[in-house]
Amino acid sequence: MSSHREAPEVSKDPVVDNTDTYAFVSPDNPKTVTIISNYLPAEIPAGGPTFFEFGDDVQYSIYIDNDRDGMAEIEYQFSFESRITNPDTFLYNNGQIKSLTDEHWNKRQFYSVTRVDSKGTKVLAEGLPCPPCNIGPRSIPNYAKLEAEAVRSLPGGQTVFAGQRRDPFFVDIGSIFDLADLRPIQNLHLIPTLPGPGVDTLQTLNCHSIVIQIPISALTANGSVPTEISSPNAVLGVWAGASRRKMRIRDKPNDEASEAGPWVQVSRLGNPLFNEVLVPMARKDEWNSVEPSDDGDFLEYVRHPELAKLLTELYPGRFPNLEGIKAARADLVAIFLTGFPAGVVPPFQSASKKGVLADMLRLNVAVPPASKPNALGFLGGDLAGWPNGRRVADDVTNIALKAVAGATYPLVEKKYKPDAAVEAVEQGITPGAGRSQSTFPYVTTPHDGYDFPSAAK
Amino acid sequence: MKKLIPATGVTPAEPADDGTSRRQFLAGGAGAAAGAAIAVASSKVGSVVTAGHGAAAEPAPTLTKPSGPPPREPVTAYVRDPHRGEVTVLSGQKETTYRDPVLVKRLLDAAK
Repeated sequence: MSSHREAPEVSKDPVVDNTDTYAFVSPDNPKTVTIISNYLPAEIPAGGPTFFEFGDDVQYSIYIDNDRDGMAEIEYQFSFESRITNPDTFLYNNGQIKSLTDEHWNKRQFYSVTRVDSKGTKVLAEGLPCPPCNIGPRSIPNYAKLEAEAVRSLPGGQTVFAGQRRDPFFVDIGSIFDLADLRPIQNLHLIPTLPGPGVDTLQTLNCHSIVIQIPISALTANGSVPTEISSPNAVLGVWAGASRRKMRIRDKPNDEASEAGPWVQVSRLGNPLFNEVLVPMARKDEWNSVEPSDDGDFLEYVRHPELAKLLTELYPGRFPNLEGIKAARADLVAIFLTGFPAGVVPPFQSASKKGVLADMLRLNVAVPPASKPNALGFLGGDLAGWPNGRRVADDVTNIALKAVAGATYPLVEKKYKPDAAVEAVEQGITPGAGRSQSTFPYVTTPHDGYDFPSAAK
Repeated sequence: MKKLIPATGVTPAEPADDGTSRRQFLAGGAGAAAGAAIAVASSKVGSVVTAGHGAAAEPAPTLTKPSGPPPREPVTAYVRDPHRGEVTVLSGQKETTYRDPVLVKRLLDAAK
């Protein structure tokens, strides 16, 4: 999965587990950028009686680098607070929830949004309500009304939403981690079986999303809205992270958490699949704890990815050209750590300053939203998709698999010819309708707990 | 390190400037005000901490039952390196590490 349960520590701490981060020029509001960071992997919709919520003891952050140095100039912080309105019921709700202030809704969550930049720290809003989890049609007959009420405006033309969503990420996790099996071509695998369609593992599961839409002029270094792709100001680095306080004291009589010390980052996510697929298990927790500007320490895993070697071994004879690559994978380094300098994928550029190695989504905001988005992004000839930022519907797993298999190596080695098998490398999944939407918050209504899982197979 | 982000990334060696100094902590001033909690790394190495730094002149700790729950934002200290006499104090969002063999010895003695 993009970053679902990707590291040992966060796999045991779901509220800090940043599963996906997205950043794109808003298709319906192109003078803004929308950033989404998802948490709580693999939420089963039938999550009662204590339905899922963000961590009250976690600081969620979205970081923006606007001068291409791999460090944040802007941070948005999100802090949550849960409240119980009826201490005498065991239920999440003891009647229908018809509004965000409905007295029948017992376990609620509110949040604040703070922006930190060179001007200082500014609280943009406090006490913003999350919508309830989608319990079922008896409890919440009109979920659309509640989620619409939870979309809030912030000063400066910003819009925010935080709450449960359908997990938009699609991946065949069952096959990929079964010795890199890809069901459509598993007849070519070292341990072959008949080919079959992919399985969309997350299809019926939810997550929790933080979504914020920000005017581009509030993000760029000079306050402009760049229209020239070649402009250095057009490139934003984006990543998200979650932090916990350094010290926590558990004490029975104390209802409130006792915590002390600075916030310590325990999860982060820029590009999909970086920590998941490139970083060895023994260093995944370490990677989560450091800043993107420290990612030079992980360079070798990008230059010589283990997955490329596995493909040649697990699909014997199918990737002879890939097997022949001995040089460092400069194409993957560009995708994940440096961005693309001008001239590699004309007219695109997204490069950080010379010497910067940082895993961030790099979004060139001068590339307009695609009128007909291609889920394969760059590989599909669509410069508005990953690795130019990341849209919700981008098929990043297939893009990354094909890239590691050699599809992008000709960008840096013109004589290289990708193996014929690269074309066939895919998960075999087409996400169904309702996995994303074209308007804010771009992530969709969560599955309800009554209907998911279903009695029908 | 991120830049321009004051809420995170406190430098360990940064001196406290929020009124919770080591001396206040040692004297119990900050602890009395905020309710000090102490975490000690190991009590087996107390003997290696240098003795004779005036600890003998200070009153011995008195065993007591907690008077109540810890405060929401306790001042917390832990022995980082008993051999070097290093103690780290956490207060609010600040983290400060001092070399203070006397305080480390008192903490390690209390852990015995």
